[in-house]
Amino acid sequence: MEMVCIVCPNGCRLTVTRQDGQIAVSGNKCKRGESFAVGELTHPTRSVTGSVRSTVKGYPVVSVKTDGEIPKDKIFDLMSLCRDLTITQPLPIGTVLVDDLFGTGVRLVTTRDMEEANE
Amino acid sequence: MRYDVAVIGGGPAGLAAAIRASEQGASVLLIEREAKLGGILKQCIHDGFGVVRFGEKLSGPEYADRFVKKLRQTNVQVSLLSFVTRTEKCDDGYKLTYVCKEGLKQVECGGIVLATGCRERTRNGIGIHGDRCAGVYTAGAAQNLVNILGVMPGKKVVVLGSGDIGLIMARRLTLEGAKVVGVYEAKPVASGLTRNIHQCLNDFDIPLHLSSTVTRVFGTTRLEKVEISKVDERMRPIVGTEQIVECDCLVLAVGLIPENELARDLQVPLDPKTKGAIVDQNCQTLAEGIFACGNALHVNDLVDYVSESGETAGSAVVRRGKRKLRPVSTEGKLLYVVPQRIDVNGGIDKVVMYFRASEELTNQRLVVTAGDETVFSKVYAKLLPPEMERIVVNFDTAHTLDDFTVRLEDK
Amino acid sequence: MDFDKTIKQVRKRYGVDVSVREDERSVFLSGECDKWSDVVAIGKMFVTEGKHVVNDIALKGYVAPAERLPALSDNALDGTDWDVVVIGGGISGCAVARELTKYKLRILLVEKHSDVARGASGANNGMVHAGIDLKHRCLKLKYGVAGNALYGDVCKELGVDFRRSGQYVIFDSRLIRFFAKGTVKRAVKHGIPGVRILGKKEIAQVEPRVKDFAVGALYAPSTGYVSPYQLTIAYAENAVQNGAKICLNTAVTGMDVEKGKVARICTNRGTFTARCVVNCAGVFADKIAEMAGDRYFSIHPRRGTDLMLDPKAEGVPSQTISMGPTLKSLSKFGSGSTKGGGVIRTADGNYLLGPDAVEIPDREDTSTDRQSFDSVFAKHSGVCPTLRRSDVIAYFSGVRAPTYEEDFIIERSAKVANLVHVAGIQSPGITAAPAFSKDVAEIVKDYLLSAGTQVAANERFDPVRPRPVKAKSLSDADRDELIKSDPDFGKIVCRCEEVSLGEIKRALRNPLGVTTVDGVKRRVRAGMGRCQGGFCMPLIVDIIANETGVQAEDVTKDDIGSNVAVCKIKEVGQ
Repeated sequence: MEMVCIVCPNGCRLTVTRQDGQIAVSGNKCKRGESFAVGELTHPTRSVTGSVRSTVKGYPVVSVKTDGEIPKDKIFDLMSLCRDLTITQPLPIGTVLVDDLFGTGVRLVTTRDMEEANE
Repeated sequence: MRYDVAVIGGGPAGLAAAIRASEQGASVLLIEREAKLGGILKQCIHDGFGVVRFGEKLSGPEYADRFVKKLRQTNVQVSLLSFVTRTEKCDDGYKLTYVCKEGLKQVECGGIVLATGCRERTRNGIGIHGDRCAGVYTAGAAQNLVNILGVMPGKKVVVLGSGDIGLIMARRLTLEGAKVVGVYEAKPVASGLTRNIHQCLNDFDIPLHLSSTVTRVFGTTRLEKVEISKVDERMRPIVGTEQIVECDCLVLAVGLIPENELARDLQVPLDPKTKGAIVDQNCQTLAEGIFACGNALHVNDLVDYVSESGETAGSAVVRRGKRKLRPVSTEGKLLYVVPQRIDVNGGIDKVVMYFRASEELTNQRLVVTAGDETVFSKVYAKLLPPEMERIVVNFDTAHTLDDFTVRLEDK
Repeated sequence: MDFDKTIKQVRKRYGVDVSVREDERSVFLSGECDKWSDVVAIGKMFVTEGKHVVNDIALKGYVAPAERLPALSDNALDGTDWDVVVIGGGISGCAVARELTKYKLRILLVEKHSDVARGASGANNGMVHAGIDLKHRCLKLKYGVAGNALYGDVCKELGVDFRRSGQYVIFDSRLIRFFAKGTVKRAVKHGIPGVRILGKKEIAQVEPRVKDFAVGALYAPSTGYVSPYQLTIAYAENAVQNGAKICLNTAVTGMDVEKGKVARICTNRGTFTARCVVNCAGVFADKIAEMAGDRYFSIHPRRGTDLMLDPKAEGVPSQTISMGPTLKSLSKFGSGSTKGGGVIRTADGNYLLGPDAVEIPDREDTSTDRQSFDSVFAKHSGVCPTLRRSDVIAYFSGVRAPTYEEDFIIERSAKVANLVHVAGIQSPGITAAPAFSKDVAEIVKDYLLSAGTQVAANERFDPVRPRPVKAKSLSDADRDELIKSDPDFGKIVCRCEEVSLGEIKRALRNPLGVTTVDGVKRRVRAGMGRCQGGFCMPLIVDIIANETGVQAEDVTKDDIGSNVAVCKIKEVGQ
């Protein structure tokens, strides 16, 4: 089957074939393409970005991301988890908000620096 | 006050240019309109930035943060909430007038780097008619509402334009609970990166409708519905194909235009194809001492290349010599090539060139020639207009440094 | 009068039977047509000297949309009593209210939209006509010429930009040039100053772009340019400054007439009383007249579309130029329905192409469409062949409010003693308003005096409305000083039009209490430039929220209900 690698903006067009339980990938420019294709067929995962509310002046919302990939079917669970979080004080970029998302070991971290001078 | 270099715009291109110019020992003033550095990256909270440069998938604010932190270690003078109102040529460079919260200021500088980014095409720019209701926004405005102000521009959304920004907004609004009814694209092929079609639309079952566009909007106070029409090969709406789609928000991701008001004021010649300045390989425009980089020069798909051109400009603005410009002509199905000139005195062993094909093509060969001599050639299995290509050409080996041509031909 | 001949003509031309009834003031038509343009054309056939046309001919199968009413209902005005109530916040109503504040009166102006100048007054090209194309003995001519002469002073008092830079009507044939001599003669007779014919060389010097086809031009130096909505806003603000009350989001829904007078006015914000009522309701002026039981004219909505050009486009001429009549269209010249137009350099330094004139059944349909865009471009770009369609950066429509007689109605009602009509105000309404508003104020005063109401001069009347600060147009030194006095004037919010935070904050503290995104746009031009608000709209939403203490999602673009956002994120579905 054909698929597009989404690991990086190169978007390599992959050809994936299954033979005798083995998965063969071609068209990838780097190794990550192969693991992407295998993962996509067995347990698709995504890194997710979003935002959480904040009560800090000048920051109605603060952007966040998963620092790794979580199962694709957990994306909306993550969104509702984000909905329940509120940041109440200025945090530096990269602050961990949730340590272990859905038992994956992946963390939810802030991606915006709130310590910058607030004009 | 006098600086060696004034960089106008504190987005990715301006940050890179200012850092690089400062690293070369120049005194640099960075003028930024907004209260914070980072430009449009501040609202681009999705990831995928910096893969080329950092080998990581960063979000927009994180990518910007890396440069801001680096900038802090330099001697670059940053003036935030500052807006250039006038630029004039003076004896030894340029005089800039800008306003900031302290008042109206004037500085002189040896060189200027224009890093003013781009703006979005509007509903008027693509001939959408109908009512003037709330709920019709450019993708950038919608993105700001969601990611900066934290409000939803609508709950039932139509996206027009399948460029990356349109796709990313379709996903973003879906994640926040809106129903994206569909993404419509006037061209017969999608405009965005294929990976974005996959992870922004397919992942969320958002339909993509090609060769269709929004022709009319309806609504007295807020948007109530839009009229969708099929378009012909020349992208003109076909009468009789109209279809009504109910929605409360229309997001327009219908193209970006380099922002070049300052370049116009300085009478810097622009390229009608890129709508940015005509530059040499060092990002210097046809006006001595004025450089342009990033999306102000031509609209890029990857921020990594925006930073790269900022660095090119920041480096070159410090070390300027007498130029000998030769034009680069194009042949074949090329939308554009940047740079449009080669300064044969300006370092020609590693000339970075960017190009886009004018249509979807397979099995192409790109050939760069100097006189009759081929100095570069590369085969592409597939070329798409939305995907910018980058090549590095060594002209040093050429016997004649003139008659530069970039040609795209069937393999 | 005998209309048999006209009825026969209608039957022959349109295949329609119309019934005609008349009284001392009006001719009443009824029947049914397939096309709206036929309805209007038939109405015009019954225009006779000294009478108005009330056209009830229906459009087959057409159900008029309900009038757009403000989504608001309260008792804010319930039980109040006023000396004068002005209905409608267009240029007419606002100018009349302001002129009335010269007297010590309790004045209320009601406007159904969330701001003034939301109808035709806000959607026209702002040309202050010289009056060269107006007919003899009509109110348009009387007030047009008088109004034009007042403009310099009025705009100075009200702090509004006005530029008297003239207009050029180009001729492409010698024969037309010959006919134009008649226009010059008529202008002299009508007291229009300085109108003359320019030769081929002269016009080519003024506007080199026309040199290939222009054999001459008619030049009217008294034509000027104003921002029509800024003038309307200035009139409204000066009225409020001088004691008038302006109540927005307030629609008149009915009137009680007792003993030949309007006794009570019903609105969505309560019922109140007034000694005198002025009908400045624009496209709804006939509906208001009907509410008072005084139906004797009809408004037929006429939509005009203007295209805004990129001022930096190569093909844009430097002056206001329009194409004069060609031999073919000669019969139309001077008929009053072809008002100038062409390429107009507006008061803001923008360029407009247009307008066109399309008869439409819906009084509030200000939408634009491709047909109008195409016809405006085709009609007016002839004067400037270098213009390209891609030079158009924006377009808008406004609905004019003509009567079938195509003249203003400015008079006290013959039936309802305390009602004054200011109706049929269309082009050159902006031009004429400074003049007719003075007369309307006198009509009201005379009536009030006759009805036993004391009318004293308002000694505290101040004709000067402070000119809003425009940081961009200040000298460097003044701008520097302004910013030092208030740093907000150094923070640019709208980059295309170079509008500062300080200007936006001041605009939000306007005397009318308008705190909408479009209200800011109309006052300081933020969002009117090439990006059309793409960058600054979210910023302005944020500023409005902060300044007025509301949540960002409660900020509206314009009328109630036009919220920019629908809710906070994380609250979808709640």
